[in-house]
Amino acid sequence: MIPAKPTIFLLAAAVALASVPAGAAPAIWAPKASERLMKLPGNFLKKAVENDFTNSRLGVEMAETDQKVGLKKETLADLQAAVESADGDLRTELTHRFLVEKKRFLELMRDQQDLRRRRAQTKVSLYEKMLRKLTAKTRGGAPSRLALVANQKAARERFEKSAARIDAQLFRSSVTAESKYARDYATNLAAIENLAQAINAHPMNQAPEVDGRPVSQAEYLRRLITENEAEVALVDQERAILGFMAKLVSLDALALSEGVAETVALTDPQKTPGRLTSALDFFVAR
Amino acid sequence: MKNMIKTTVFATAILALSSNAWAGALENMERERAIMLETLLSGDIVASEKRSRGAISSARLIDLERMVLRDKSLVGKNTPLVRAAFENYDLTFLVHAAAEKNRSPLDHWMTEIGVSTQTILNARTGRR
Repeated sequence: MIPAKPTIFLLAAAVALASVPAGAAPAIWAPKASERLMKLPGNFLKKAVENDFTNSRLGVEMAETDQKVGLKKETLADLQAAVESADGDLRTELTHRFLVEKKRFLELMRDQQDLRRRRAQTKVSLYEKMLRKLTAKTRGGAPSRLALVANQKAARERFEKSAARIDAQLFRSSVTAESKYARDYATNLAAIENLAQAINAHPMNQAPEVDGRPVSQAEYLRRLITENEAEVALVDQERAILGFMAKLVSLDALALSEGVAETVALTDPQKTPGRLTSALDFFVAR
Repeated sequence: MKNMIKTTVFATAILALSSNAWAGALENMERERAIMLETLLSGDIVASEKRSRGAISSARLIDLERMVLRDKSLVGKNTPLVRAAFENYDLTFLVHAAAEKNRSPLDHWMTEIGVSTQTILNARTGRR
C-alpha cells in the first residue's frame, strides 16, 4: 500500500485544482433570432429552440456528459458498497479507488455545469434578441409612421362601419352591379374565415401560456429569460456545492494518506530509515 | 422524424411569408379617380356621356378603393404617396365617402375642397 501514498497526495492536489477549465475547444451552440423563429406559434418556440440545441455540438456534448455522469454514479455506488464490505488492505485499496472515481465524478459534474451554464446563457441571449426585435416591431418607429398607421386604422374602421350601408346604396342601381372582385372577395372571405377558425382551433397555434394563463409573445419571452437566468443562478450555486464536495474528497484523500502512513509506521517500525538499528545487518552479516 | 419536423417548420415559415399583396392598387386608384374627376369637370363632354362614364369609373373605383383599404402591404408603408392617401379619407376614397354622405362623387369632392353652390354664387369675376 506504500505506492498509494504519493498517488493520494497527487489526487488531493488535483481535486484542489478542479476549477481549472479543460483545455479542449468548447462546443458551440449559436442559435439565430430569425424571422422563422419569431413566427413560430406559442409554446412551439421553446420546443424549436430545445430541438436546435439537441442537434448542436453543445447539445451532443451535453448528452454525452450526462451519460458519463450516469455511468460514473453507478460506478461510485458499486465502489461504495465494495468498500463497506471489504477489510484490511483491500479496503484501503478500494477506498483509494473510490476517491479517484469521486474526483473524476466531480470533474464530470464540473463539465456538465459548464455546459448547462452555457446553454442557459445562450438561451437568455437568444430570447433577449427576440424580445428586442419584437419590441422594435410593436413600437412602430418614427412619429410619421405612427400617424400613418393611425390614419390607416381610422380609414379601415370608417369603411367597415359604413360598408354594408354603402353596398346597399351603390348596388341598388343597375349600372353599378356587384363586380367580379366583390363577388370573389366575399367567397374568399368566407373561405378565409373558415381557415382562420381552423387555425385558431389548432393545438399548435394556441397562445403561449404561463401557469395555464394565456400571455403575449413578449411576456412569454420574458418568462423564458427569467427561467434561464434562474438556471444560471442555480448552476452557480451548484458550483459552490461542487467546491465543497471537492474539498471533502481532498480531505478524505489526506485522511487516507495519513491512515496509510500510520499503518506503515505501526506495523513495521524496523523499516523506518531514521533508526540506526535498521542498518545493523549491513555491519553484522559477512 | 427530424427531417419531417424540419420540413414542417420550413413550410410554416414559407406560408407565413407568402401573404404579400399586390402593390399597385393605390396608384391605379389615384389614376382612376383623376380620370373620373377630369371627365366630370370637362366642358367638352355632354352631360349624358359624363353620367355614363362617371358610373363606369365609380364602379371601378368602388373595387379599387376597397382593394387599397384591405391591402395589408400598405400598413405602415411610410412613403409620401401612402401618407398623402390616408391623410384625407374623403378625398382619397371619394366614392365611398360620397355614398356615406348621400352625395354624388363630384359634389362631395367639390365640398371637400371648399367649393359649394353658395361660394360659386358669391364669387365675382375679376382680374387677378
